[in-house]
Amino acid sequence: MAAADRLHLNAFGHAYLGLGAVVICVLFYLALAAQITQASYDIARLQDQQRQLVAEQDQLQYQEVTRHAPAEVQRAAAQSGMDRTTPTKFVVPQPVAINLQAPIGAAPTDSTPLWQRMVAAVVDRVVGAHDVMAATR
Amino acid sequence: MAAGAFGIKPPRRLERATSARLRIFTMVVVALLLSTVVWTRLAYWQVLRHGQLAQQAAAQYREVVELPAIRGAIFDRHLTQLVVNTTVYSAFVSPDQVPVAQRHQVATALSSVLGVNQNAVMETLASGSKFAYILRRFSKEKADQLRAMKLQGVGLEEEQQRSYLPGISSTSTLAANLLGFVTYDGQGQYGIEAQYQKSLAGTPGYISSYRDLANREIVLGSHTHQDPVQGSDLVTSLDANIQYAAEQALANGVKKARAESGSVLIMDPKTGGIVAWADYPSYSANNFNRTPTAMFKDNVLSYVYEPGSVMKVVTLSGAMDAGAIKPNTVIDDPGALYIGGYRISDWDGRNHGKITYTYVLEHSLNVGAMKAMQAEGHKKFYGYLQSFGLTRPSGIDVAGENSVAPPSASTMADSQYATTAFGQGIDVNMVQMLSAINVVANGGKYAPPHVVERIGNRINPVMLQPQRQVISAKTAKQMTAMMQAVVQYGSGWTARVHGFENDQTGKTGTSQIPIKGKYTQNVWASYVGFLPADHPRFTMIVVIRKPNVPGADQDWTLNDGYFTAAPVWQKIAQAMVVSWHITPDRK
Repeated sequence: MAAADRLHLNAFGHAYLGLGAVVICVLFYLALAAQITQASYDIARLQDQQRQLVAEQDQLQYQEVTRHAPAEVQRAAAQSGMDRTTPTKFVVPQPVAINLQAPIGAAPTDSTPLWQRMVAAVVDRVVGAHDVMAATR
Repeated sequence: MAAGAFGIKPPRRLERATSARLRIFTMVVVALLLSTVVWTRLAYWQVLRHGQLAQQAAAQYREVVELPAIRGAIFDRHLTQLVVNTTVYSAFVSPDQVPVAQRHQVATALSSVLGVNQNAVMETLASGSKFAYILRRFSKEKADQLRAMKLQGVGLEEEQQRSYLPGISSTSTLAANLLGFVTYDGQGQYGIEAQYQKSLAGTPGYISSYRDLANREIVLGSHTHQDPVQGSDLVTSLDANIQYAAEQALANGVKKARAESGSVLIMDPKTGGIVAWADYPSYSANNFNRTPTAMFKDNVLSYVYEPGSVMKVVTLSGAMDAGAIKPNTVIDDPGALYIGGYRISDWDGRNHGKITYTYVLEHSLNVGAMKAMQAEGHKKFYGYLQSFGLTRPSGIDVAGENSVAPPSASTMADSQYATTAFGQGIDVNMVQMLSAINVVANGGKYAPPHVVERIGNRINPVMLQPQRQVISAKTAKQMTAMMQAVVQYGSGWTARVHGFENDQTGKTGTSQIPIKGKYTQNVWASYVGFLPADHPRFTMIVVIRKPNVPGADQDWTLNDGYFTAAPVWQKIAQAMVVSWHITPDRK
């Protein structure tokens, strides 16, 4: 049995019920629309704020870039008494301490015992010569 | 009564029926006509005028707002930003929205914040018009002050502006002639801003949204949205510090020589990238709207001049490369030659006797240059002019290049071949000339000149092209040695950089300026060179136009390149040696 039959509604009752449902829907829609509109205005306000912040950011960026510009660097340096002047004197190069013209002397003597050199010669021949530094990190 | 007695009688029923039909028919016709009129009118408004009416209706509640693309920035080689986009504001009023009682208050407030004439504002407010600008393009500080006042009928409009770095004085910005500027409607003018307008500007987007009765945007309503494509950033081969040093040295040099103007161009020998591009006098790109148009002209690229003796580097290089001469080939220089009916002499007119070509370059002797050209032959000489890039525009990526092509090889007179050999009778711009000299610095290869190295993420295609071999590496080395001799023993001594005296190259140039086909006493003085000689880090040319050094009326050589342009070259080279940590290869 339908709900309307259980409530014993006549034709007018049905009409009122329908109208009530429509009114509720309209009210709900209006509330939702109002909320959306309000949110929309909030977004517009925030967008405006964002534009202002971006403008401020642009200005700060220009200030920062200008501060590093050669003209500004030179002005700041001059204010601190750090003018760049053309050097009138250059550091004289020091003579090299090693005499490259001196004759090459005898080869340095190897202090490794003879038996160790013989063992090394045999081992190197068997396993191949290897660089001790290669294993280090 | 018989019917026949009165003749034929129409049957009454039939008469009525006919009359009724006629009336109905008439009414139907009238109704049809009326409805046709109505339907026609309806069709007119709904079909023919549909588009226009729909547009008018949409205009009342829809709004299409352009989303401007952010213009790309321009950087130097160290990624120092050379131009920044900033937001500026314009104040406007809607006079019909300002109540009469508040006009005075509004005018006073606008006058105090923006510094505009109060009476002028009062006149605007009294005009009753719908819209009028009060002041355009002012700073955010002023805009904030104005916004806080909440003046009725006064609005603020945001606009984008390009802000350039400060230059050597308050009336100029850094590299103004190279960079150009951007007009208020976003169009790049002159220089890189014009050349790369499309890449820098990007593509604007749009947003189409609804507005309420108070003309506020309903952000969450149905709208269409197209994002803008932002402009690409450009990375150039410039060095902001060297640019500044060049501008400073040039300004001092031009003032000292009491010259009309001057320009400096510095190039990376290996790549052809421009390191500095300076003009004096220059202008402030931040105040382009208050600058005379003549100041926008960039003399580096748009001013053609006769290069003078700098050209001897090209002539002798070509002749050596063709095997016609050697640096130590001995010639006789009597001080003048007769060619094509003209007597063409050396700058000093003296008989120099037996000399080598190295001596010719050291002392900048015209006779030697002409003899080298003759030894090489007209055809080959012209061929080398083409290979060195002096017969066509350089094609550099900066707007506004001017160049004058010489006559074709067959139509060039003997006398013009002769004068071209030492740089008169041929017109070039500074980019063409520097690129030609740079061939010697770059081991005989022509490096295409360019300013921009990267456009967004893309490398400038010019940089990827193979460089063409103009002269052999051996010839380039020989010419380098000859140009070193110019600094050590010849006219380039005023350009010597301390510590590099034996390791730098150079060549002076001075050419008389022709007016209506006749040469005058006014000159173009120039100096070109590179450093260090064997492993060049830069090639530089300095041109001083119409110098008028005190005492030049007594001794005209005071206006010469060695006295006016070379010292400027020396100052800039000194700064580059320090800034780029360049060390000499030999002492």
